[in-house]
Amino acid sequence: MVRKELLKNEQIERVLSPHPLSFMKLQALCIFVIVWGIVVWWLTKFSQYTSIFNGNIWYPLILWGLVMLLIGVVASLVTIRWSIFFLYLCVFVGALGLIFWQHWEKDTALFLFLYSIAVSIAGFLIVELYRRSHKYIITDLRIIFKGGIFTKRERTIRYDKIADIDAKQGILGQIFGFGTIIPVSESGFGLGSDKTMAAGGVEIGTKRAKLFGFAGGGKEVQTPIARSYYELHGVYPYKDVKQLVEELLQTHVSTQYEKEQVEFQKEQVDIQKQMRDLLHKQVREKPSGKSVRQPTEEENTEENENEGKEKMMMKKNIAEEDTFPPEQVDIQQQMKELLKKQKITRATQPEEDEAEEEETEEEDDKNKEEGKEIA
Amino acid sequence: MANVPLDIEVLVVAALAPIFGVVAFWFLQLIFIEIQKWMLSKLRHRHEAFCRFTNFIGILFQTICQALGYTVTRSGIASFQVTVNYGKVQPKKEKTGVFEWIVHSFLLIGPFFIPAGLVLLVSYFVIGKGFAFPTPVYYTFVESLTDFGVSLFTFAHEFVGFLVNIDLFNPLHIGFLFVLLFFGLGIRPSYIGEQRKEKINLIHDLKHIKNHLVQKPLYILAIILIIYAFYILSLFLNPMLYVGLFSLFGWMSLTAIIAVLLTYPVLLLIKITDEIRTHWKVIPFITLAVSYILARVFFIYYPIKQVEKVSLLVMILSTLIITILLIKYKKTNRFKTAPKMKHVRVTDGKKRTFKKRAD
Repeated sequence: MVRKELLKNEQIERVLSPHPLSFMKLQALCIFVIVWGIVVWWLTKFSQYTSIFNGNIWYPLILWGLVMLLIGVVASLVTIRWSIFFLYLCVFVGALGLIFWQHWEKDTALFLFLYSIAVSIAGFLIVELYRRSHKYIITDLRIIFKGGIFTKRERTIRYDKIADIDAKQGILGQIFGFGTIIPVSESGFGLGSDKTMAAGGVEIGTKRAKLFGFAGGGKEVQTPIARSYYELHGVYPYKDVKQLVEELLQTHVSTQYEKEQVEFQKEQVDIQKQMRDLLHKQVREKPSGKSVRQPTEEENTEENENEGKEKMMMKKNIAEEDTFPPEQVDIQQQMKELLKKQKITRATQPEEDEAEEEETEEEDDKNKEEGKEIA
Repeated sequence: MANVPLDIEVLVVAALAPIFGVVAFWFLQLIFIEIQKWMLSKLRHRHEAFCRFTNFIGILFQTICQALGYTVTRSGIASFQVTVNYGKVQPKKEKTGVFEWIVHSFLLIGPFFIPAGLVLLVSYFVIGKGFAFPTPVYYTFVESLTDFGVSLFTFAHEFVGFLVNIDLFNPLHIGFLFVLLFFGLGIRPSYIGEQRKEKINLIHDLKHIKNHLVQKPLYILAIILIIYAFYILSLFLNPMLYVGLFSLFGWMSLTAIIAVLLTYPVLLLIKITDEIRTHWKVIPFITLAVSYILARVFFIYYPIKQVEKVSLLVMILSTLIITILLIKYKKTNRFKTAPKMKHVRVTDGKKRTFKKRAD
């Protein structure tokens, strides 16, 4: 299934999904409902405060609902998500509706206990379904994020488009080894803002003149935030996944070393151009002099076959080097220095690809041969 | 004001009795903690997450103690960081001399008493009994020691009595039990890192504390003098105060010992269930809860005296029997290795597979 969605020559590195405990914030909402239902049942049936609840059959429901809504408001303010409050409101209204519909007013405490358990179990199942809808595919070219129960959402980000990586691991994540990785794109996808607002009103005067004072303030902080289906949410094992993403990211971003290599190659090409121009100039100025031309394959073969001759030629070349024009000698000197510099830089980069080494060696040999030929 | 006889035993020797008592209980606490650490180390390879959790609690308390040290010395707290592997507190002002020594004392000795002190505070509200201070009459060494012992015995009697009669249908009681277990896993002063680099045991702790005390003998002398001055003052003002203060430390040690002892069956159950096959290993834990609920429901229809105690007994016995039966008939036949095989990866760390042989 996943293979079909891959690009040509794309390879999957890992297929991940969130850890079962990574949605603990949602699961905690269900845990609270179940615990509070049990506590209310105990308070009304078994505790020393039973007599308080015997007076009115609605007392357990009022206590249960009020505390739940209060917790909902507090949780919504803390997490800046009003959906929590509305969720608890729905649970409360649901309980109220069921009591009226089925006429379960006689034993509200027992009903609330059973209702809390049922609602919590349903909540746990929904959270689990939501978790299972997530799938993260890490390939060698990109990361694919998928999620959503009814509305399927998908995000794809190429490694060269990742500007920043935000990684976080909470206490639960540290204990169980999972964590969240948010790749922030260059367009800012993955960045959000936390807004806090404080406001208050003061009313002075009772009859006619009423003064109303309002004080407020806002604060906005840019922070890496993304929906769970747009980030690597609660992935396990966190350290390995993070390392893998970092490595893949590095392979797609030009490093300092690569930049140096490009500069070296540019300099090398410049020198070779200068050399070519100089040779052309020499040929034009001294047409009857030593002929300078590019060696053919046949000549190369002949040289290889006849080592003695080659040695003789080299001796001759060395002897004739003194007779080079000063510009040519300068260029050769520059070339030597450049190659030396390149070798030194390479020595400091031990993790170099062998293929690249071979290529450079070939280039060196070629340059040497060219130098010989030029000579 | 009490009539204090002028006697060398009254003025000098009697002061030492509660100190001996506290030190004895503290050593006992250390030994029990050491056993817990040993049990945890046996679980480590199979229950890494659980060990990381216990580590976190231990580190959390240690860091709180250090922060408390900085607060007491008015150094201020610049940063406070607690993770599963380490805790870090940085003071606003770096103080030296006696303040630095006090901070170190909090860090080294605090974890033994501060978490236990918190549990003691909770138990005062939940149990509310057994916090008695006997008043001395003869002011002798033996009497001081006996008073200390009586105070501790009364407390221990009430505490254990509460635990034996604990009502697991009462959210307050079950909450207290969880607090006790939570703190019991955290009353452990030594750091146990992700990888065991050095042997951190009882001797290691004691060596550190000894070095800390020996470094500044003058401070120790000053503390002894303060304690002695407090003793003399309490002799003339209220003789109950001195023994009472040390009884408080004794209660803390006792609370810590009980909390640590309570974690033993839990650790043992986790260890034993490793011997049972994968899906069957949850049965003992389910039995633990279900047997208690069934027993309590049964005793609602057939009431007897001491329902809570009998229900607890039923729970323990049924869990024990079920576990033994499972070990006998559903023992795992899996070849077990020290590290989990799924954690063994090939050298590139990418694929979850078995380690290939070098040959």
